[in-house]
Amino acid sequence: MLAVLSTIAAEGGAHAEEVINPVIPENPEMIWGGIAFFLLLILMNWVLLPPIKQAMRKRSEQIRGDEEAAERALVDSEQVRRDYDATLAEARAEASRIVDEARQSAEAQRAEIVRAAEDEVATLRQAALAELDAERSAALGSLRTDVAAIAVAAASKVVQQPLDVSANQAVVDQFVSSADSKA
Amino acid sequence: MFAAEGGGGVKFPGIKEMVEWPAFLFKDNELLAFNKVALISFIAMAIPVVWFLVAGSKAKKSLVPAGPQNLAETSIEFIEKQVIGQAIGPDGMRYLPLLLSMFLFILFGNLFGIIPTSHFGANARMANPVVLALLTWLVFIGVGVKHNGPRYFKDALFPPGVPKALYLLVTPIEFISTFLVRPFSLSVRLFANSLAGHILLITFSVLSATLFAKSLLVAVMPFSFFMLVAFTGFELLVAFLQAYIFSLLTAVYIGGALHPAH
Repeated sequence: MLAVLSTIAAEGGAHAEEVINPVIPENPEMIWGGIAFFLLLILMNWVLLPPIKQAMRKRSEQIRGDEEAAERALVDSEQVRRDYDATLAEARAEASRIVDEARQSAEAQRAEIVRAAEDEVATLRQAALAELDAERSAALGSLRTDVAAIAVAAASKVVQQPLDVSANQAVVDQFVSSADSKA
Repeated sequence: MFAAEGGGGVKFPGIKEMVEWPAFLFKDNELLAFNKVALISFIAMAIPVVWFLVAGSKAKKSLVPAGPQNLAETSIEFIEKQVIGQAIGPDGMRYLPLLLSMFLFILFGNLFGIIPTSHFGANARMANPVVLALLTWLVFIGVGVKHNGPRYFKDALFPPGVPKALYLLVTPIEFISTFLVRPFSLSVRLFANSLAGHILLITFSVLSATLFAKSLLVAVMPFSFFMLVAFTGFELLVAFLQAYIFSLLTAVYIGGALHPAH
């Protein structure tokens, strides 16, 4: 404002004779300005704006289409995820069932093997016991014979005359039998 | 160049020197004399034309905006959202070419006020603001008549809902404010702001040049130079703001003409 006032004051002095009214428009400037603006308006309306607006519309449509496709893809992926979860749950149940069955089968096999082993052990034990009894009976028989022979030999020494082993066998056997029963 | 010569102190140029430009084409033609203001008007028209042509050719090749296309789309969206959307609504999109042309023509015309070697805005003369204001006046009256018929004038001059006795007061006021003052206020606002900015820049330029020449006062010169730079930045803001205000008021008037009863 000060600048304007100082300008006007200066103008009131030295340049008083050159005063013009700047508010009054000059005809040539209005004509050329009008031509320039209407040229711009016409070009803007029919040449400049349409391709840019068309590109903006295309882009908006493409963005909208991409958004819808993304929305659909999201829904599809959600469905796929649900399907996957369901399949996974089924697979887990199936795996659990298979593991249970395998466990039961293994348990049955183990029981069978144990039972067979126990049977085999019992058979072997019985065979060993029978063999042991046979061995013991044989050893006992041999012992009786030897005891009889030793006893008769000892008795012969005591009586100072030979004794027949076979004749005294029965006495020795009876003695051994009575000793067995006492043991 | 306007500084004082010799020891005569600071001498500011007269208003004639500041705003009147001699013709350099068709000098003798009273209607078609072509001067600096006319040249700036044509350059202010040519810049958006070239810019939008480049942007349009890029837009045909790629949907991804970049460079001039990006800037063009930003300016379009600015007018659509901040001018038409605020003042008219979706019905006003058909006025986009008019409002965008006005905005860009005024903006580039104003920007020449701070561009070195030009330093004069096309709107610092009354011619362009008057042309644009008259066009606005014709457009909003035409829009009103087209959409409402003769009822437009009735609704504009006799607003519904006002007691009939008040029409004696309201109708002359509405007539003056709507049909007489609007073009005048539009053109004077734009012209006065541009001219005031031009005078301010000249003032501080003259002061800086004068103080630089006077050895004892050279210490004050940085302040004057700082003000010159600051006002140049301020004029950049004013250039944009005036273009926006003119476009927005035009949109407001068109919106009012579309729905005069509101």
